Amino acid sequence: MVALKTTVAVILSALFAAGSALADICVQDDSGANVCLSKPAQRIIALSPGATELVYAAGGGDQLVAAVSYCDYPEAAKALPRVGSYNRFDQEAILAQKPDLLIAWIEGNPREQLAKLKSLGLTIYYTQLNDFDDVSSSLERLGKLAGSETQAKLAADKFRAGIAELEDRYSQSAPVTVFQQIWSNPLMTVNNEHIISEATRICGGVNVFGNLPNLSARIDNEAVLAADPEAIIAGGMGEENRDWLDEWLRFSGLTAVRRNNLFFIPPSTIQRPTPRLLEGTTLLCQHLETARGRR
Amino acid sequence: MAAVKSSRGALPRFLLPLGILALLTLATLALAITTGSVSISNAELWQVLSGGGEPLHRTLVFELRLPRALSAFGAGGLLAVAGALMQVLLRNPLADPYILGLSGGAAVGALTSMLLGLSAAAVSGSAFIGAMISAVTVFGLAHGTGSWTPTRLLLTGVVIASGWGAAITFMLAVSPSDQLPGMLYWLMGDLAYARSPWPALIVLGLISIIMLPLGRSLNVLARGQMQAAALGVSVRALEWTIYIAASLLTAFAVVTAGSIGFVGLIVPHMLRLVLGNDQRLILPAAALAGGALLTLADTLARTLIAPEQLPAGVITALIGVPTFLYLLHRSR
Repeated sequence: MVALKTTVAVILSALFAAGSALADICVQDDSGANVCLSKPAQRIIALSPGATELVYAAGGGDQLVAAVSYCDYPEAAKALPRVGSYNRFDQEAILAQKPDLLIAWIEGNPREQLAKLKSLGLTIYYTQLNDFDDVSSSLERLGKLAGSETQAKLAADKFRAGIAELEDRYSQSAPVTVFQQIWSNPLMTVNNEHIISEATRICGGVNVFGNLPNLSARIDNEAVLAADPEAIIAGGMGEENRDWLDEWLRFSGLTAVRRNNLFFIPPSTIQRPTPRLLEGTTLLCQHLETARGRR
Repeated sequence: MAAVKSSRGALPRFLLPLGILALLTLATLALAITTGSVSISNAELWQVLSGGGEPLHRTLVFELRLPRALSAFGAGGLLAVAGALMQVLLRNPLADPYILGLSGGAAVGALTSMLLGLSAAAVSGSAFIGAMISAVTVFGLAHGTGSWTPTRLLLTGVVIASGWGAAITFMLAVSPSDQLPGMLYWLMGDLAYARSPWPALIVLGLISIIMLPLGRSLNVLARGQMQAAALGVSVRALEWTIYIAASLLTAFAVVTAGSIGFVGLIVPHMLRLVLGNDQRLILPAAALAGGALLTLADTLARTLIAPEQLPAGVITALIGVPTFLYLLHRSR
């Protein structure tokens, strides 16, 4: 009897050991590397405003211990300790938090600082979100690392369903030519590769500068006058500042100005690749529908 | 000719200022490893230095603070010595290590590899290649077929530097906005790019040792090519040596920390105001003082508004401008 009990115990503990080894959590990040944790991350640092939003949306907000400047959404993010700005970290402040997972941003974070942190043994998940699919898959992957898969799955499904609904409803409507202004002085727009243009397509819009070679480009007023878009969409400095749009009023020959199709979208809902893109895209679709009604 | 005549008994006279500068250097290095956004008490620091202490503290001191402080010392020393040499070579008080376009060439190299998304090591490598291309071009063009005068060298260098400047502006204008902050920090000079301090320190040591025996000839050359030639100095060979040495010093400094301004221009002048214009003293003193200034500046840059980080180049000017103006005023 005793022997049997011991045997069972040995087998069980062996199974348990095997089970926990298998339970290593691994996901592929946007650099193509495998990021593995032995248990869900307990101390996460997000190194860009977008990464912060994604971690909260994926249900890992409770495990976030620090973020960088301008991490302003959701409200709870404003209270997090800061470890510098997205383009320059305070490496000491990062190490002092003893993080078990860093969420980095390939394009925006300084490579040499990340390389240093990696050499000091920190685990880094690299993000680079280029389209709507990346948003939902990032939510799922981050949820897995943070041990909040259920909530992350819900958020990802909600985002996918919301976008699919907009696409069903608007993508085949009569096309509206759109100028997407992402900056003023210098005047800047984006090409078709950009996530903003994906939102435009879903809403049945056509980016008039979609064929430019670079992802984002500086252009001049004359190019906009020549393209004569039916609608102009802009953000601004701040979440409700229409100054950039008002500058177009002096060009009364523009179709967009004649029909009053100058639309504002809060920049953080359309320029940051996070689940809030659903809000921004919904707003964009409504604006383009308004433009169709003014023909 | 005062500097040349008083050469006997010079060594003991040099020991005091160099000793003071060495102490100053040690003080700035000590400050650099004790200061940071994580506070480490003296007792804890002692444990770390004697081989124990908390793992976090060991990492902070040995992996972050010490290598960065040594890189800052190396880069600052390189720039100050290079500046002192350029001022002798061009016999122009406005000469600094970058005046002949070296930092421009390095910047074009570094920004190109940043645009291509290459690794940090590749950024350093292409900065070095850019600097060398610039140095060789200026040398070849200024040398030309005829004679090499300081004016001709200076003009060639300044024009090439403007060319690089235009190229840099062009690259900044067409770069994706996400990459701009990294590029601007590189152009402003920033020790966060420093990876290993050893190349800078080794080159600083080697070139200082090579240049020291040339001190007397440098003193003569500082008074003009004609006088130097009349006193039996092989002017052409000496000028080439200075040019090559200054270029290598600058290239290694720029590769270590980006184009940090001000140190190379002002440190040699400050030292001349205080110590007199004897190159045998000015060169080692510049190595120490330049190193100490940049170490101090970088320590302030990473702690003043922590966790936000400033580029060290901002602080070198903030400390240096009032100090220099004070010394200039006092010397009247």
